[in-house]
Amino acid sequence: MFKYLCKRIGRSLLTLVIILIIVFSLLRLMPIEGYFPNYEKMTPQQIQVGLREMGLTDPLPQQIVRFFGDLLKGDLGTSRIYRANVPVSEVLADKVPISIKLGVLSMLVSLCLGIPLGALMARYKFRFFDKLGTLFIICIEAVPAAIYFLYIQLYGTQLLDVGLLFDAGNPRCWILPVFSMSLYNISFYGMWLRRYMVDESNKDYVKLARAKGVSESGVMFKHIFRNAFVPLAQYIPTAFLNTVIGSIYIESLYSIPGMGGLLVTVVKKHDNTMVQGIVLLYACVGVIGLLLGDLLMVLFDPRISLGKKEGDR
Amino acid sequence: MADKILTAKELEIQFKLRGKTLNAIRGVSLDLYKGEILAIVGESGSGKSVFTKSFMGLLDRNGRVAGGRILYYGRDGEEPLDLATVKREKEWYKIRGHEIAMIMQDPMTSLNPLKTIGKQIMEAVLLHQDVNRAEAKKRTLKYLEDVGIQDAARRFSQYPHEFSGGMRQRVVIAIAIACAPKILICDEPTTALDVTIQAQILDLLKELRHKYSLSIILITHDLGVVANIADRVAVMYAGDIIEIGTSEDIFYDPKHPYTQALLSSLPQIGVKGTDLFSIPGTPPNLFTEIRGDAFAPRNPKALKIDFLKTPPYFQVSPTHKAKTWLLDPRAPKVEPPAVVEKIRNGGLF
Repeated sequence: MFKYLCKRIGRSLLTLVIILIIVFSLLRLMPIEGYFPNYEKMTPQQIQVGLREMGLTDPLPQQIVRFFGDLLKGDLGTSRIYRANVPVSEVLADKVPISIKLGVLSMLVSLCLGIPLGALMARYKFRFFDKLGTLFIICIEAVPAAIYFLYIQLYGTQLLDVGLLFDAGNPRCWILPVFSMSLYNISFYGMWLRRYMVDESNKDYVKLARAKGVSESGVMFKHIFRNAFVPLAQYIPTAFLNTVIGSIYIESLYSIPGMGGLLVTVVKKHDNTMVQGIVLLYACVGVIGLLLGDLLMVLFDPRISLGKKEGDR
Repeated sequence: MADKILTAKELEIQFKLRGKTLNAIRGVSLDLYKGEILAIVGESGSGKSVFTKSFMGLLDRNGRVAGGRILYYGRDGEEPLDLATVKREKEWYKIRGHEIAMIMQDPMTSLNPLKTIGKQIMEAVLLHQDVNRAEAKKRTLKYLEDVGIQDAARRFSQYPHEFSGGMRQRVVIAIAIACAPKILICDEPTTALDVTIQAQILDLLKELRHKYSLSIILITHDLGVVANIADRVAVMYAGDIIEIGTSEDIFYDPKHPYTQALLSSLPQIGVKGTDLFSIPGTPPNLFTEIRGDAFAPRNPKALKIDFLKTPPYFQVSPTHKAKTWLLDPRAPKVEPPAVVEKIRNGGLF
């Protein structure tokens, strides 16, 4: 187990390094406007001097080594355009917490509502509750999110008597963005949990459990639920880490100063160091999320043993 | 003969399928006696499983008992309970496992893969025996030993994937025993196992029957299994029991053409180049009403009356009866097939 873990973490790090090298190299192919806020007014000499100061005239391998060296010291570089001469880590430190707070709240709401939704739909399969749940899921899946987000903002703000725009200090202002963000995930967890539970309930071991006299709700919750939850558990760490990235639409709708849309903005502005920093963040989220997901599966499912060879008894 | 523990009377079971009604069980009567092993044999789709599932209220949603009675005599000092009238799930919880337990065909899928086998057996103990957890664990370990699992204390906390197929079937049997039932239904308990393990499991069932005074219904299509273990045999065809008798009656003196054909199709050492015997045709469509003897269309020697009138049971001996017109005094004399002679001489089992 420990050996596997080390191997796995090593491989994850290698993946991150490869992603960064590729992104770093690609960004060197970008036009050099992105390093100067007032590029148009500069003379070619000024540009050359500026590039040399930033070390951008050095050979590419040397730049990459220096980039990783800085990274180890926790230095992500400095933003040039988005917020000129502010370290990237500082820009992110302003924005990440608010996105995480919003995301984690929304995740808790989604899990607390989505899992009971799926479980009850499976328990009352084809009955009224199941049909009601299906209606909800179809609406959420089929109607473009932008439409119901707008309605929620429009009527929700009236109902709660808050302004259209976000105010982090007012707890009531958190309700609508969190709720809007959760809707899709509630339907996601509900839909998949129902499906996995229905799959499980047709298996032989469930029939045996019934035959030994376990009551219907006992079968559902002692046998089916846990087994059906395993495939979903894998996604939870990724979903959790994804909260760092924020939600483009919700954050712009309520003018929340979070991470949502930041990558798009800095790419448009050719702020290469910002792009690097954010891509690093995204890559970490993806790689660590998968790692934690796999580890979580091991906790839930005794059949998966990491590091042991197949057939070891 | 011993006391009855279960009686099915004129039982009819129907399934609704795409707006049509399928008559899976067509008026079956059967007695199960205390302490016996009764085998029900028949080909796939003959209704063996459906018949026994109805004793536990485990029919699929679209199936229902459409007529007849299932009398259960297991509750001492009480009136027999008609299982055909049990409707509410809550009442079934007191019967399933508690009075009648079941072992299923495939041990590889019958156990919950995410629970230790100890927990799965203990669940049954706690449900059906009025004991605390410590006592339940003690009993679980004893059941594990009783079904022949060595090193029970260690095995208790292992998961199903750490067991082989035969061992898993032993665990499934332990779960059934842990319910402390009076009747044990074994639905093809050895089909998914290889031959050496089959014999061990059958021996185990025989041993447990005495130890826990069980009455066992054994569903199978393997006549070798039947010959090995059963006291009595019921032959099922197209949702009806067409012949029933002791093992000796059925193997040495089969009366119904279907029973005879079934025995003839046992693989036997023959002459190179000759085909193995097989029964021509397919079982009848149970969506339509069956007239006469259900087996007649596949029986090359069928009589005219076989197509017109359903035969009643003809008593061959006090223990043996069959539904075939061949037993009518007016019927022509038909010699039993060659295989019967072979079995009588002990050449097959």
